[in-house]
Amino acid sequence: MTDTPHRKLERSATGFMLAIVAAASVGGLVEIAPLFTIDDTVENVKDMRLYTPLELAGRDIYVREGCYACHSQMIRTLRDDVERYGPYSLAVESKYDHPMLWGSKRTGPDLARIGGKYSDFWHVAHLSNPRDVVPESNMPSYRWLATTPLKLSNLPLMLKAQRTVGVPYTDEMIANASADARGQSAPDSEQSAGVSERYGEATQVSAFDGVATNVTEMDALVAYLQVLGQLTKAAYENTAAPEKMPDPNN
Amino acid sequence: MGQLTSGERDLAGAVLVFMAIMGVAMAAVGGSEPLGIHGVMVLLCSVGLLFVLMSTAFGPAPDPARLGKYYDDPIKVGVGFTLAWAVFGMLIGVWAAAQLAWPALNFDTSWASFGRIRPAHTSGVIFGFGGNALITTSYHVVQRTSRARLADQFSPWFVLLGFNLFCLIAVSGYFLGVTQSKEYAEAEWYADIWLVVVWVAYFVLYVRTLARRKEPHIYVANWYYMAFIIVVAILHIVNNLAVPISFTQAKSYTIWAGVQDSMVQWWYGHNAVAFFLTAGFLAMLYYYLPKRAERPIFSYRLSILSFWGITFFYMWAGSHHLHYTALPHWVQNLGMTFSVMLLVPSWASAGNALLTLNGAWHKVRDDATLRFMMMAAFFYGLSTFEGSFLAIRPVNSLSHYTDWTVGHVHAGALGWVAMITFGSLYTLVPSIWKRERMYSAALVEVHFWLALVGTLIYVFAMWNSGIIQGLMWRTYSEDNALVYSFVDSLVAMYPYYIARAFGGLLFLIGAIVASYNVWMTVRTPNPAPSPTGDDLPIGEHAGAIPSAAE
Amino acid sequence: MEFTHDTLVEASKTWGLFYLIGFSICVLIYTFLPSNKKRFEGAEREIFDKEDAPWK
Ligand code: HEM
Ligand code: HEM
Repeated sequence: MTDTPHRKLERSATGFMLAIVAAASVGGLVEIAPLFTIDDTVENVKDMRLYTPLELAGRDIYVREGCYACHSQMIRTLRDDVERYGPYSLAVESKYDHPMLWGSKRTGPDLARIGGKYSDFWHVAHLSNPRDVVPESNMPSYRWLATTPLKLSNLPLMLKAQRTVGVPYTDEMIANASADARGQSAPDSEQSAGVSERYGEATQVSAFDGVATNVTEMDALVAYLQVLGQLTKAAYENTAAPEKMPDPNN
Repeated sequence: MGQLTSGERDLAGAVLVFMAIMGVAMAAVGGSEPLGIHGVMVLLCSVGLLFVLMSTAFGPAPDPARLGKYYDDPIKVGVGFTLAWAVFGMLIGVWAAAQLAWPALNFDTSWASFGRIRPAHTSGVIFGFGGNALITTSYHVVQRTSRARLADQFSPWFVLLGFNLFCLIAVSGYFLGVTQSKEYAEAEWYADIWLVVVWVAYFVLYVRTLARRKEPHIYVANWYYMAFIIVVAILHIVNNLAVPISFTQAKSYTIWAGVQDSMVQWWYGHNAVAFFLTAGFLAMLYYYLPKRAERPIFSYRLSILSFWGITFFYMWAGSHHLHYTALPHWVQNLGMTFSVMLLVPSWASAGNALLTLNGAWHKVRDDATLRFMMMAAFFYGLSTFEGSFLAIRPVNSLSHYTDWTVGHVHAGALGWVAMITFGSLYTLVPSIWKRERMYSAALVEVHFWLALVGTLIYVFAMWNSGIIQGLMWRTYSEDNALVYSFVDSLVAMYPYYIARAFGGLLFLIGAIVASYNVWMTVRTPNPAPSPTGDDLPIGEHAGAIPSAAE
Repeated sequence: MEFTHDTLVEASKTWGLFYLIGFSICVLIYTFLPSNKKRFEGAEREIFDKEDAPWK
């Protein structure tokens, strides 16, 4: 029997492996490569803000506790999604999300625009025991967050790593990260002024967990929840029927 | 380990000492943080293994005759790991299912809350159970189909034990809150790097063993194992590129952001399904099913076509997880198209398996092991059909975010992945331990029915709850208002959550029965070794095999 | 050539399709090549063939 090229290919494990790689990589390349030029087509939004150190810490707690396993952060372009949760999510809105937290399962409702919808107090009560505010809920309680101090010393490291992966934090933001986290959770303190200076007037400064004297993980998580959907107004301007954004100071 | 040569013992010792030092280093920099805890775990594992190694260090040099036999010791240990992870992972699954019905079951502790045990379940079953099953059976299949012994005696152990260390670090990390949040890739950077090392060793071992083959043709099962090894490596590396916040801490941020991250994540996620939960298990199907049925595969050519179809199409399909999201439209459509096309090679495989059994239905009736594999092929056909259907945009608009996805997952996971694994194990165990058959055929039968009923209850409960949920979310009243609040839909789920937990419990009990049966098979001395020393499982094979072309 | 989003998308849509068709043709040829027939038939049976120990 003559050795056809195919026969050779399959007899030598190396050629065979290369064929597998060739077959398997093309789909990924074709779909993923164009996404890196996405900036060309995605709305260029001027008012897009960065997460403050406190919000970023809250985001990490959201990741740590696996909230994404039950809550999506991606409102689809479907009528009922939009009417239930607000204008559909835009690509820019997760531009600084490392990783994205779009989720794949709604055991609980979508949270992409939860910011400003409820008061800080409601969130603290809900996180401490969901069944106190929603009797039918099956969400776990997270009461220990309110008694666990936030590790402030990590914040500069976190911002620095975020900058390495492409989020435009400035040196000043990194240097002041811990102070800004303290400031954001203690209104009218000395440190709180710097937060709005660095992250924009729209930043919410509040004693999120009701106690201004120390920064807990509860502060961070509530601060994060309250900023969801609030980083830019773009989604409210692009829809056919503009809606009002929930007011953070309700 | 008694068969290690002195050179291999030295190598193993050096690697273990190095790992112990790494463990100490991690413990030192990590302190009481999770990284430190993991350092201690690495240290304990390597020191423990060092002791095992030392106990054989001064034994006699291994018998040269061993080279005339297959190297089956790592397979035996791998079977144990597979079953242990099966029971553990499914136990966590039942617990998670119960928590959704009765939220108090986390006892108000952080480590046991749903968001933390869910990845422990998924990693435990996919990597712990599935991964060990794949490694174990691949060692078995590659040796038998190549007529060659594994290339050396150190790397099989390194791969098997190293992989289990990865699983241990990953799963214990989730309880401690160490996670990247990437679905099916939650483990943090240091565990990911370790897995790359292990995987490269696995790849090299596999290729070296294939290169030693005496049989010129590479049997199709090996193609699937190879695709599994190669593609998982590519996926794992790309998806897990990340920057740690510090080398003394577990936390890292992925280099991908937003939309790109979503696509990379689901390109990974979907192909984890394709190349972890499908390709390697198809390899089992193509080897153990014909072996057990004692009939050659219905069409070898069809198996080649479906192999390339699966390898090629799957990679395009990931975006069907992102329908109607901010991902560009054309990528969503591409994903949908290829997902529908995937049905062809998938059903070709399922059909090939079922047609192999055509004419041997009496064996399927009498032999629960074969029935496991038959049901697996059936559920494979079912879940791929369902998958292609769910990938169609309008269907997905209803199913996405609901329990329907979870139902689909477990039709595949319980019906396909777990059943083919148990079928393969029941074939492999007697053969490796040179027993005539399993300790108790009746227990295999019990396991089969527990597994089947458990799967059906689970899947039907989730189909119902998923569709109800999806419909409630989009029900409008006459004056165009949404009828149900989110909580209304949640309340409607409770009965199904309870049913699912019950179905899962049956499945778990089945896995425990299997473990007991395997244990007893190993412990009970063989009454009558088959005189030919042949590897075939049950006797009476002589006439049944089509005369082999030599 | 400029690497804009649109050019990349175009490339994916055309080149990707050609690749798909070319690849499928190669696989079909390989599978149905008459000279491969004997080998595949052998492969169907090979797993039943003297597997009890490595071949010398
Ligand atoms: C005893 C049997 C099992 C039970 C009770 C069980 C239960 C569960 C539960 C409660 C969830 C979470 C669903 C949710 O978030 O709503 C889940 C998710 C999951 N399980 Fe299982 N499971 C079992 C076996 C398995 C097996 C054997 C596998 C794989 C081989 C598996 C793979 C998965 C996967 C991949 C997910 C994630 C699904 C998704 O993201 O949509 N499970 N399981
Ligand atoms: C032709 C084959 C298949 C296709 C086209 C397919 C398609 C899909 C689709 C459309 C989804 C839903 C995505 C969403 O709405 O979020 C999905 C989810 C899933 N499928 Fe499949 N599927 C296939 C086979 C399988 C098999 C055999 C398994 C085996 C275990 C499996 C495991 C999963 C898992 C784990 C998920 C859940 C992902 C998540 O959300 O976490 N699929 N699949």
